[in-house]
Amino acid sequence: MCQHQFYVAKPALKSVTVCARMRRDLRGALLLLLTAAVQSSSMSAPGKPVLLSCRSPEKETFTCWWEPGSDGGLPTTHHLYYERERLEGTYECPDYLSAGRNSCFFDKNHTSIWVDYYLTVMASNALGNATSDPFKMDVMEIVKPDAPGNVTLRVEEREASPCLHVRWMPPSNTDTKSGWVTIKYELRVKKDNSNNWKEYTSGTQTHFSLYSVSPGGVYTVQVRCLLDHGSWSEWSNTTFVKISNYLQNERPLSMLISILSAILFIMAGLILIAKRKSVKQWVLPPVPGPKIRGINSQLLQSGGSDDVGNVLIIKQSFPPIYFVWEDQMEDYLIVTENEDWLSSNSQKRKKSLIPACFHFDSEIHSKESPCHQNDWEKDEEISQVDNNNKPFTNTGYVDFQRNVENVDVKHVDYSRVKEVKSDNIIFLEKEKVQSSGYIHFQRQEGIPEDYSRVKEVESDHLVVLQKQNAADLSCKDEGNHYTDCALHKPRKPHVCTELSDSGYVDTIPAPPLM
Amino acid sequence: MPGTIRSVSLVWVVLLVCLSSRRTSVGAAPICTNGQVGCHVLSLDNLFDRVIQHSARMHGISSDLHSEFEQYFLPSKNQIGRVGRICHTSTIITPNGKENAQRMAREQLTEVILKLLIAWRDPLWHFHQSMAHHHDFNNFSSNKALEMNDMVHELRQGVEKVAEKMQVLGIISNSVTSLASPEVLLPSDSADWRLMKDYDLLYCFRRDSNKVQNYLKILKCRIVPNHGC
Repeated sequence: MCQHQFYVAKPALKSVTVCARMRRDLRGALLLLLTAAVQSSSMSAPGKPVLLSCRSPEKETFTCWWEPGSDGGLPTTHHLYYERERLEGTYECPDYLSAGRNSCFFDKNHTSIWVDYYLTVMASNALGNATSDPFKMDVMEIVKPDAPGNVTLRVEEREASPCLHVRWMPPSNTDTKSGWVTIKYELRVKKDNSNNWKEYTSGTQTHFSLYSVSPGGVYTVQVRCLLDHGSWSEWSNTTFVKISNYLQNERPLSMLISILSAILFIMAGLILIAKRKSVKQWVLPPVPGPKIRGINSQLLQSGGSDDVGNVLIIKQSFPPIYFVWEDQMEDYLIVTENEDWLSSNSQKRKKSLIPACFHFDSEIHSKESPCHQNDWEKDEEISQVDNNNKPFTNTGYVDFQRNVENVDVKHVDYSRVKEVKSDNIIFLEKEKVQSSGYIHFQRQEGIPEDYSRVKEVESDHLVVLQKQNAADLSCKDEGNHYTDCALHKPRKPHVCTELSDSGYVDTIPAPPLM
Repeated sequence: MPGTIRSVSLVWVVLLVCLSSRRTSVGAAPICTNGQVGCHVLSLDNLFDRVIQHSARMHGISSDLHSEFEQYFLPSKNQIGRVGRICHTSTIITPNGKENAQRMAREQLTEVILKLLIAWRDPLWHFHQSMAHHHDFNNFSSNKALEMNDMVHELRQGVEKVAEKMQVLGIISNSVTSLASPEVLLPSDSADWRLMKDYDLLYCFRRDSNKVQNYLKILKCRIVPNHGC
């Protein structure tokens, strides 16, 4: 049809162009139909959007955000509509752009406080609309300020400890001058990389001082704020500062002094420990304690009970003899059997020492060692001069024993034997012995013990013993002490005295010798 | 001996009397009239600070009570009740933004504050009564309601003092009529509040207490600006 019209006259040209246009439109329509037919399954009306939240940073303006639903495969537009208490009509959002995508910004002119807003968002595309649920809000309830800005830290290095001064500015969009809002601040601090934040309330001040900081650490500080009765803002950007360690090096002199004094103390302590004995003696001088003469404390500590007893036996008795011996005048008792000797030797009275030559361990007595060897020699000479007499042994000694526990103390008078001249001459001391003391007469070195009867008491210090005869032996043989009566000189039987078990010579109770 | 006992007991009685007298007037110190001798006169700055503190406290209590009610009754927040809530004080024209409040004259602003406070006197009293009779609420909430009631009363007295002081100082003219006859300020249909439910009443009061606090702050920073603004 169109071809025929081609050859028509001028008015027919229009129809030619119309025909071309019609062809184009037909093509377009065909295409559309085709695409629609192809995509008919995925296209739909948009999904329902959701209003998320609204926020007012300074109680003068506010912003609301929504989340769109599915767009249904078609370009979808969103519109926010609101109604307001005490205001008739429905209005659309004044500003979709300032706050970004899917948001609506209400400026001051459109913001009213203390009135309810009812917001809805409508999503629309070619195929339909979708409306969100209404969202009711009052600006008074949605106040949340921006974070404070320009947080600066300043370290003040004082002598004792450093302190940290924090300063900040209120958020830039809030009005602090008219009293419309009251801003309160909070800050938090953490040290190094720990996760423990320490929070502080600053009230309405825009500065704060921290005193609990120590050198050598990196401190991170954050600040946030609150308007009236609203919500807290986000924390500000972190600001950190490193407090230098130089304070520790500031006083090397004091450190040096402290180290030196410590070394000195340690050395003094070591010296004290090394010389603790002398120190102890100097501080606590030994108090002289009572010492019993002749007793060796070490022997006492180490020895057995028998030794102790022996020590006591030996040691306790001899020293008095010795000392008495020294002080005494040269009186002695001559005990003899031979009357000739007596007459001949009456002039030759010599002082002889009973072997009282004992070595004392104690210091006190060591000085007064009575041992003089020449004395013994003298005795030897004397004894040799007196041929009548047997040379008496120089090893005989007199034991004295103090029997303290003796119940049956025979209260008899005893005399100490001063000297044994021969085997039948005893020199007794002049002084009277304690009644409880016993005289133990004993001879050493294989010389069998020998007891003689006292024949006669010549004077107060001369006792004449009976010479023993074997035949005259009629003494009782009691124990070991009374052996060998036969070995010695015979005795007169009628002078047999009663001999005790302990081997003592019991004198007949006589008037005191002195 | 009996003399000392008597003097000690007298001291105790005096102390008790003083303490009890202090308790009756919480927060508001006695403000002297010009004639009284030996009375410490507070500055306007100080007076403003006190009433602002008081209003902040009042708003805090009202917010607490409101959130408690929300827990118990759970009204849907997105109810389409656009017409629904009308506070009985909505007849009082109040500035609903910072600029509006700043533009308003001091006397007008003071009057608005006083009107609000007066309007809430009766409703809060009845609210407290209804809370005391309902055994659903614990003592804590009931005490808060009573406290709220007292605070409105005291805050009104405080603001009246402030207004008086301002008039004396010549800051505002004598056109503030509330001091003369408070009943004039009451809205004509004052019985509206009886129709309100408790929850709505709390909601309205929370809003109005916030208004009072904000208006007082604006007024103070306009009249006696200092670093506290």
